[in-house]
Amino acid sequence: MVNRLMKNYSMILVLFGLCILFSILTLKEQSPDSSSAADQIIEKIEHSYNQDDIIITVDAFNKHSESFAILLKEKLEVKNHPNVLLVTGIPRDLRLALDSLKLSGKKPSVIATRGDVEKWRVIELLPELYPEFSDCEIIVPETYLWPDFLKQSNLVAIADRIVVIAVMAIGMTMVIITGGIDLSVGSLIAVSAVISTIIMKMMGGLEASAWAVFVGFLAGIFACGLIGGFGGYLVARFKVPPFITTLGIMLMGRGLAFMITDGFSIYQVPNALTWLGQGTTIGIPNTVILLVFLYSTAHIFMSHTKTGRYIYAVGGNEEAARLSGVPVKYIITFVYIISGITAGISGSIQASQLNTGTPNMGIMYELYVIAAVVVGGASLAGGSGKILGTLIGVFVISVIQNGMNLLGIESYTQQVVLGLVILMAVLLDKARIKKFYR
Amino acid sequence: MNRKYRIGMTTGCIAIVLLFFSCNSKQEFKGKIGMTCMDLTNPFFKLIANEMQDEAAKYGYRVIALSGNQDPATQNNQLSDFVAQGYDAIFLNPVDSKSAGEGVKKAHSAGIPVFTFDIQVTDDNAKEFIISHIGSDNYQGGRLAGESMMKATGDKGKIAILSFPEITSCQFRVNGFRDILKENNSSLQIVTELSARGNRNDGFSVTNDILQVHPDIVGIFAINDPSALGAYAAIQKGGKVEEIIIVGFDASPAGKQAVFEKKLYDSPQQFPRKMATGTVDAFIAYSEGREISKNNFIDCKHYYYSDSIKDPNRVKEQW
Repeated sequence: MVNRLMKNYSMILVLFGLCILFSILTLKEQSPDSSSAADQIIEKIEHSYNQDDIIITVDAFNKHSESFAILLKEKLEVKNHPNVLLVTGIPRDLRLALDSLKLSGKKPSVIATRGDVEKWRVIELLPELYPEFSDCEIIVPETYLWPDFLKQSNLVAIADRIVVIAVMAIGMTMVIITGGIDLSVGSLIAVSAVISTIIMKMMGGLEASAWAVFVGFLAGIFACGLIGGFGGYLVARFKVPPFITTLGIMLMGRGLAFMITDGFSIYQVPNALTWLGQGTTIGIPNTVILLVFLYSTAHIFMSHTKTGRYIYAVGGNEEAARLSGVPVKYIITFVYIISGITAGISGSIQASQLNTGTPNMGIMYELYVIAAVVVGGASLAGGSGKILGTLIGVFVISVIQNGMNLLGIESYTQQVVLGLVILMAVLLDKARIKKFYR
Repeated sequence: MNRKYRIGMTTGCIAIVLLFFSCNSKQEFKGKIGMTCMDLTNPFFKLIANEMQDEAAKYGYRVIALSGNQDPATQNNQLSDFVAQGYDAIFLNPVDSKSAGEGVKKAHSAGIPVFTFDIQVTDDNAKEFIISHIGSDNYQGGRLAGESMMKATGDKGKIAILSFPEITSCQFRVNGFRDILKENNSSLQIVTELSARGNRNDGFSVTNDILQVHPDIVGIFAINDPSALGAYAAIQKGGKVEEIIIVGFDASPAGKQAVFEKKLYDSPQQFPRKMATGTVDAFIAYSEGREISKNNFIDCKHYYYSDSIKDPNRVKEQW
């Protein structure tokens, strides 16, 4: 069982290795959550300050930590500290609060806050800006070590970035298994996004109902399916090499997207548009649900249905497949239609994530998708490849991109590293497969 | 594992580790600022990035400069990563003025201030969250280009515009150019406006095509220097250097040199250094709690031949 898993999905090891590497490299001091931070600070204040001392609780404006400053104020008031001043917002707000204290001739004894706010220069320069407050103490809670990479917000960020590429990769895997290639998917993202948003704009723009979003998405996906089918027909019927066919469609698609929009972004879209890309259902992002659904469907389709097995047969040996009664032309057209449709779905997701339709979406994505599929173990010669392998490939590429951004690696270096990792991943895969076959 | 594979893997690992450490082994900083711009392969933005890094380092901040690669989604991911990492600020040059709104909202709800430079965020729900913006007044720069064109051509004849309508700032330049012509009842006739995508190759081929249809034009306005220089190459090939006036934009190093060689008549100057230091200054003022103005526009300036001989920085400066 383990052996079989390792043989088919050895790339999972690389993925784990990368996760561990980035976890170690992004280890950083983190602020504790609101309530334990508040308790810590209260303990310190109780210990060394009188009840009528003026205490300022400061926090940056945001939903999450606003509660921290408010919580702290509430807890302090319970402990009979009446002179607590609450400041939430930007440094300017703190400055104004300090100015008004200075005017009224009072002195704060404590400024209680958290790590990120402590770095505000108004706090750092307090002795210079307000010499009279020089004995004011700044209290922050103790920090703990935890990698940025494994923070919940970052894992959501990875899921967000993964979904567009991952959905396209399903169609691409099928195309590559038949021995073809589809270069048009990046352009089709833009086509789908601009068609769907322009329909939403025509159906009422900002005021349009959720139906408009649904109709828009369907139209965009349908158009991409048609374009994909057109390419597939050329490949199957006239034996035009897939590389050339889809290259032509790639150029046409990009031009079409610019023509439809006149080169501008379409942003007059209903609020319901963000539901797919940014919304959640019972706490799980909708994109993740969609991803799980599409991948399980595709996996079952490829491994347990007749058509799925035909796709492998066509890629393995087209002539043999034809002679044994596989409808080769239909199968080839079919995989390009699927590739178009999945690219269309990706375009809908992208439009939803960015809340706009922009004709320059998805430039170069075809290359990332192909890289992900190949890293996932599919052979460009056709005949072999796994849907779940592709998912792992997509994860590898996205995790690398995310990790490098977290480490603050410059853009130029990022490209070199990404290229190297792709080469290494493929090399590792080759080595492992050889070992198992021996 | 086979020996030759092992060699390959080891080499790869070493290369990656070296690359990682070559980036990380600098001085200790107290804070980090995320910067993402349209395209770091453009020297204009590379200069801004370098300048920001130097300026912010004076205050103890490290600027991480990333390239949006002309892709709104890439940039949006970068903004998410900045937010996940909890940076102290974000300097943003949006690839797309509307799409960037989603990233700005994310940053705002995480309490991270966003400063834009060069190009504004125009998404209605997000623009109020931008702490401050600094950029060239592209509309005014376009008007300067129009002035020069009228002056140089004697205000009569046919002219062409090489535009780049995908980029908002370039649209403003063209708008400014057209408006000043209209306001002055200019008798210049704009016979065509085509996209040269802001680069030298397209500038060359598009101008070539224009010359086939309109061999009698007297002037070309290109929305940046690379496309202007492409246009120059085309009129040189067509043997019309004497008849056609070219006005560029940016006064980039190559543009300044071209003005000095009298290839371009004028190239309204932008000030990327001011933009970079202005953005860092805005962040520092914000962080110190000083009052800051929301929109700061830097006026463009004419850059004529007479300016180029006086300009000591023309040759040695990067920009």
